[in-house]
Amino acid sequence: MKKIMENLYLVLVFLFLFLPIAVLILFSFNTSKLNIVFQGFTFHWYFDLFQNRTLLEALFHTLIVAGVSTVISVIVGTISAYGLHKYSFKGKNLINGLLYIPVVIPEIVLGIALLSVYTLLELELGLFTLILAHICFCIPFVIISVRSVLEGMDPHIEEVASDLGASKFQIFTKIVIPMLMPGILSGAQLALTLSLDDVVISYFTAGPGANTLPLQVYSMIKTGITPDVNALITIMLGIVFIILTISTVVQLRRFKKESSV
Amino acid sequence: MKSKKVWKFFFLVPVILYVTLLIALPLLYILFISFLKSDYYGGMISSFTIQNYIDVFDQVYVSVFLKSIAIAGITTLICILISYPFVLAISHKKPRTQKILMTLVMVPFLTNSLIRMYGWLVLLRKSGVINQVLLGIGVIEEPLSLMYNTFGILVGMVYTLLPFMILPLYSSISTVDNRLLEAASDLGASKFKTFFKIIVPQTLPGLFNGSLMVFTPALGYFFITDILGGGKFMILGNLIKNQFLTARNWPFGAAISIVLVLVTCVFIFLYRKLGGKMDDLGGAS
Amino acid sequence: MKSGIRFGSLFLISFFLLFLCSGCSSDDVGVVNVLNWSSYIPDSVIRDFEQETGIQVNYSTYSSNEECLAKVSSAKEGTYDLIFPSDYMIEIMIYRNMLEKFDYSKLQNEGNIDSFYLNQSFDPGNQYSLPFVMASTVIAVNREHISDEIRSYSDLLNDKYRNNITLIDDQRIIIGMALLANGYDMNTVDESELNVAKEWLLQLKPNIKAFDSDSPKNFLITEEADIAVLWNAEAALAYQEMGNIEFIYPEEGTALSMDNFAIPKGARHREEAYQFIDYILREDVMKEIIESYPYKNVNWKTQKLLDSNYLDNIASNIPSYIIEQGIYVENIGESVKLYDKLWAEIK
Repeated sequence: MKKIMENLYLVLVFLFLFLPIAVLILFSFNTSKLNIVFQGFTFHWYFDLFQNRTLLEALFHTLIVAGVSTVISVIVGTISAYGLHKYSFKGKNLINGLLYIPVVIPEIVLGIALLSVYTLLELELGLFTLILAHICFCIPFVIISVRSVLEGMDPHIEEVASDLGASKFQIFTKIVIPMLMPGILSGAQLALTLSLDDVVISYFTAGPGANTLPLQVYSMIKTGITPDVNALITIMLGIVFIILTISTVVQLRRFKKESSV
Repeated sequence: MKSKKVWKFFFLVPVILYVTLLIALPLLYILFISFLKSDYYGGMISSFTIQNYIDVFDQVYVSVFLKSIAIAGITTLICILISYPFVLAISHKKPRTQKILMTLVMVPFLTNSLIRMYGWLVLLRKSGVINQVLLGIGVIEEPLSLMYNTFGILVGMVYTLLPFMILPLYSSISTVDNRLLEAASDLGASKFKTFFKIIVPQTLPGLFNGSLMVFTPALGYFFITDILGGGKFMILGNLIKNQFLTARNWPFGAAISIVLVLVTCVFIFLYRKLGGKMDDLGGAS
Repeated sequence: MKSGIRFGSLFLISFFLLFLCSGCSSDDVGVVNVLNWSSYIPDSVIRDFEQETGIQVNYSTYSSNEECLAKVSSAKEGTYDLIFPSDYMIEIMIYRNMLEKFDYSKLQNEGNIDSFYLNQSFDPGNQYSLPFVMASTVIAVNREHISDEIRSYSDLLNDKYRNNITLIDDQRIIIGMALLANGYDMNTVDESELNVAKEWLLQLKPNIKAFDSDSPKNFLITEEADIAVLWNAEAALAYQEMGNIEFIYPEEGTALSMDNFAIPKGARHREEAYQFIDYILREDVMKEIIESYPYKNVNWKTQKLLDSNYLDNIASNIPSYIIEQGIYVENIGESVKLYDKLWAEIK
């Protein structure tokens, strides 16, 4: 009985989580333009999508911003996590404290703060400012996630390597980075997710010619959305789902191996 | 010796640059702006004033603060109520199933939150799917008002922020010692008692972590009140956005933001007092 | 592993360089950054312009004059090349020295504009702006569901319309409406009069379903609301979609808005902006725009091309007596803060 209740509850919560997405996917195959009643099956909107330059451009910008800001955040974040772990210096506590700010303050404050500074410095709003903003809120997450691995690392390994004549550079690239890989990867995944999900900060820091998917959908929701957006969402979700399935299967395999040892 | 310095330089300069240019500078500048005066055409006059902070405590804006806190608070509460049974139910599954289910929780969140709001719009509006279905099976005769009201906003907020509650609660519940639970049930403790005496105290940091990660963003998510509230609900996010993007009163918008940051700091302080670790916030580790 | 890292970093660096290059090439000629109202120019017109001239249009939108001002003034000077502010906002922008003077030698089609709409008080001699279209507020009622007679704003206070009205999300227009309903000047700065307007709006609030400026017609079309106070073209579009919509110009008065082409100070693609303006002033192009978004046309050549669908509809082709009686939003200077606060109180 208890099992049934528990499973029922799980099903209900998952229904809640997947309902809005399922509806969007369903209506991407709907012949009617209005997203109200399902009238018939069609692939029409998928063809439309490839004609819709504005939408494709927005998607392209979203991917560029997410990709570039993830890569830069991971590089800077990894170097910084290592530096903060390894060296002590004046004001380290202050730096450490300030790093949490993007994690905890409401996004809107960060958004307007960055916008104000961009205006102050007369930076032209566009893809560059958008990427800078995304880097800003992604780096701390990478640092935190890399640091959690660093803390469990044996500091003697580096000493031994150094005694054996390895250069600092060799130690960092050949020993430290491979050991930090799990932290770096989960930090990268987090940064990517955050960047793809963000609406609020992008809203303030994008400019003309840097329209991203969420901003495009925002203005379309207001002026009337067409089902080719649904088609786009369906394709994106399909890709995400495939990637997630693969990574879960891989993880489960490893998990099985570890637990059988 | 010299190369050591170079390396220290290499490892520390990026983070110092990052923290000063992208975190400290913007926030200090906002703090600075909040003490300026605005001219009525949207420019800023460089004369020191605390009038903006006095204005924040005007009855009109205090009520916006209270409304936002109420909406964010209720959102947090609903998230807690949904998440506890959920993570408990998951923790009773086999490890393998647990992993799959937790991955499934994250799937919707790999699309943009705005896109998901669009999904809710399609579901909730008067001619939306939910009303169609209910009308179709004859449960209701008139379509229900599911959005452009507080209900719609709460659905949007809870939906968007739920994983931020589920993830920390899940990771803290998996640290609860099963032997403790067994001992409790051996000693004849009721389910109710076990939950409040053992599970809740043990998961308190996770609970507070989740609450923080749900509550603070909820104060600022202007796009949810915009889309699902029909533009007639003003929460702090809308107020700040309006000051910056329509009312052209940056100093006042900055002052509201600073107050908002201070409110957040109070919550962080409480979290630390409860023994929460900063690195656990945001589910990064 | 070693080659992996090398390959990875090579990839990253090339990616980054590629990105930098794409960043610097965006400043090329052949681009125009247009900032316009949402739902004002159909996508097809922009695509045709791009095809004909090879100029790429970066199109972004705003939903109120205030938002336009904020966007232009917070962006670096020269970010936007063409904007469409209304009457009073033109005045503010001229005052703040935010606009370039028009160079009429760059235009060929400016003669298409009906001289009736030129030389307005906000920009005498049209030195900084040229009319694009004219808009007015109107009440639209779904006659399938509502049969009562509605003639004035005050009729909207009726309890029967609970949660059934949408309004434009524009503080000057809506507070102005409340002022008109109480017999005051739409541009008053008198605090006690504004207070009355506030009370009136609070009384109306239970009837308000939503505030929306971008596409209020959708509320009528999806039957989310049966009454709307919206811009005339939106009402006309709702009518085209569903029929059975009545348009009412309330007896207390109607807000008018003339939206204009203007070039912000320091615009970097001025040549392209002029080309875009000239293209839109062409009678056939303007016809396409007006047919998609039937605001009041100000182009006399286009007027001859429009059919009875447009000409006979009082929501699209605003009657001249309404235009004569209509009231423009005026620049009220510092008092705008009173409106800001009142707006926060209502929402």
